Amino acid sequence: MLFAIVYWITLGALDRQRSDSVQREMQVLSDLYRERDADSVVRAIQLRVVDLRPPRRYYLLQDASGVRIAGNLPPMKPAEGEVELPVSSLFPDRVGKPDDPLDAYPVAALGIRLENGGFLLVGENQYRTIKAREAIIRAFSWGIMITVLLAAGGGMVLGVGFLRRIEEINRTTRSIMGGDLSQRVPARGGGTEMDQLALNLNAMLDRIQMLMESVKRVSDDIAHDLRTPLSRLRHQLESARSKMVPGEDAVIEQSIAELDSILATFSALLRIAQIETGARKAAFSCVDLAQIVTTVTEAYAPVAEDRGQRLEAMIVHASPIHGDRELLMQLVANLIENPIHHCPAGVTITAGLRQDEDATVLYVADTGPGIPAPERDKVLRRFYRLEASRTTPGNGLGLSIVKAIADLHGASVQLSDNQPGLQVAIRFPAVAERGAPRKPAT
Amino acid sequence: MKILLIEDDTQTSDYVANGMRERGHVVDHAANGRDGLFRATGGGFDIMIIDRMLPAVDGLTIVKTMRGAGIKTPVLLLTTLGGINDRVDGLEAGADDYLTKPFAFAELLARINALSRRPPIVDDSTVLRAGDLEMNRLKRTVTRGGKRIELQPQEFKLLEYLMHNAGQVVTRTMLLENVWDFHFDPRTSVVETHISRLRAKIDRDFDEEMIHTVRGSGYTLGIAG
Repeated sequence: MLFAIVYWITLGALDRQRSDSVQREMQVLSDLYRERDADSVVRAIQLRVVDLRPPRRYYLLQDASGVRIAGNLPPMKPAEGEVELPVSSLFPDRVGKPDDPLDAYPVAALGIRLENGGFLLVGENQYRTIKAREAIIRAFSWGIMITVLLAAGGGMVLGVGFLRRIEEINRTTRSIMGGDLSQRVPARGGGTEMDQLALNLNAMLDRIQMLMESVKRVSDDIAHDLRTPLSRLRHQLESARSKMVPGEDAVIEQSIAELDSILATFSALLRIAQIETGARKAAFSCVDLAQIVTTVTEAYAPVAEDRGQRLEAMIVHASPIHGDRELLMQLVANLIENPIHHCPAGVTITAGLRQDEDATVLYVADTGPGIPAPERDKVLRRFYRLEASRTTPGNGLGLSIVKAIADLHGASVQLSDNQPGLQVAIRFPAVAERGAPRKPAT
Repeated sequence: MKILLIEDDTQTSDYVANGMRERGHVVDHAANGRDGLFRATGGGFDIMIIDRMLPAVDGLTIVKTMRGAGIKTPVLLLTTLGGINDRVDGLEAGADDYLTKPFAFAELLARINALSRRPPIVDDSTVLRAGDLEMNRLKRTVTRGGKRIELQPQEFKLLEYLMHNAGQVVTRTMLLENVWDFHFDPRTSVVETHISRLRAKIDRDFDEEMIHTVRGSGYTLGIAG
């Protein structure tokens, strides 16, 4: 658009300038002719044609019979008014290929008939216009090219920065979805919209975390406060039963069993809350996982056997870890209890320990029905129970306790397909002696 | 039995004191730590039940001071579940056992009885006897009426604990803690399974049962009567 305007205005002005200058020249020559004579015009033309500076001017003076008297153009058919002479007509003997490059431009000319029947033509070639047009086109081409390059480069720089921030937000979101609510989107403190977005996201996360914590606190408080009256109730039922004839106390027996299961759920909730405070970390010591797996497996092997299942330990060398022995015993026990409860007779349950390059892996695998992939992450949630296991005893907190204990030890919990069955693996990242984080090899 | 109960929570102290008195024990109750420490150092008790969290002087300090003064009366420490490492801290301070609140009365009773009859020093005698049952801890052999009984290592450990506390009620929790070192409540009948296996070996071929189930409490080993 700008290009078109500049183009037309500049070229129009140059054209006008040229025709003005041709007109003035014609005026001078025709005045000379009128006030003096033809000879002075001839002399004037002869003086002028030796001036070779651009833009080059062309003259032609012919007599009434069409013979050239003066000028640097071949004779032509007289034509009055403005005419355009193509390059080919200027130098017919050289077939439009002049020696001087300055002659290689079309000429805009003005012709008049003289009183004596002669013909006078003054012209100027379009050197300036054409050069100007070329210059404008060149300038604009460069301009457009540079603009496009700058725009593309700048856009790329901005875009990459933008994408990087989006990626940061994505990464944070993923780790929050992975369960770490304490993660925050990095904010740079600038006033850009991205920083605003980061700040708003963080404010939202603070609020969610606060709500989550208060929900958890309420459930822990309920568990805590209800335990005392419930255990008093249990005591009263026990006293009542002791005064009854055996055989008539089935209802009380059942009530006590129900109460015990409620109390067990509350204990499990409080246990999780206690583990999650992280205070037990202070009492961490060097723990032999192999010994724990062996002990717990031996304790449960007869239980599994009574149910027609096989429970065996599979211990490949594993280095000791830094942890809480009591809690790790519970972790292994919970992992083993799950398949004992949920798998049918005939399955084999393996409690194993192996040493990977970067982690000590404790796993419990069974050959039972397994858990469909979409359900696997959900079973770590509190109170989550698979549809198939709603009728079996349990409170849906076993794996939540496992997760809490694993978290306390910086270990991850992975559920995978044992083909067939389920494998739950706890990966304890390798640590150097004394429990210090492993330093990269030097 | 003369029992000293140091507990500031009236609900718990009433629950414990009334239950113990119903069973014919004498209960002396102190509602704060300073009073409790004063009475504890006075002596004359068969057993002490001390809450870990107390106003003025806390339970651990009472136990430490008492042990420092050479008083060897068995102590059962009461702790809350929220407490961190209460068990280890309590045992280190010199308590003999611990119980997490809230607890079933039968559990408290069984533990009090076990503590009050436990010899003050560790029983390291090589041979344990109960009725016609005999265990040689060194040779790791068990005989009943002179007949050799083969036991798995865990069955041996279980029987050892039962014989050590022969004639007393031991609860499921006591067995879990002392035989398997489980300090949590399993959702599976670990104790019941092992007891029934042990029973099959100890009692099946004999006229008189040695292992008895105490309804609502636990198990006891000995000749009934």
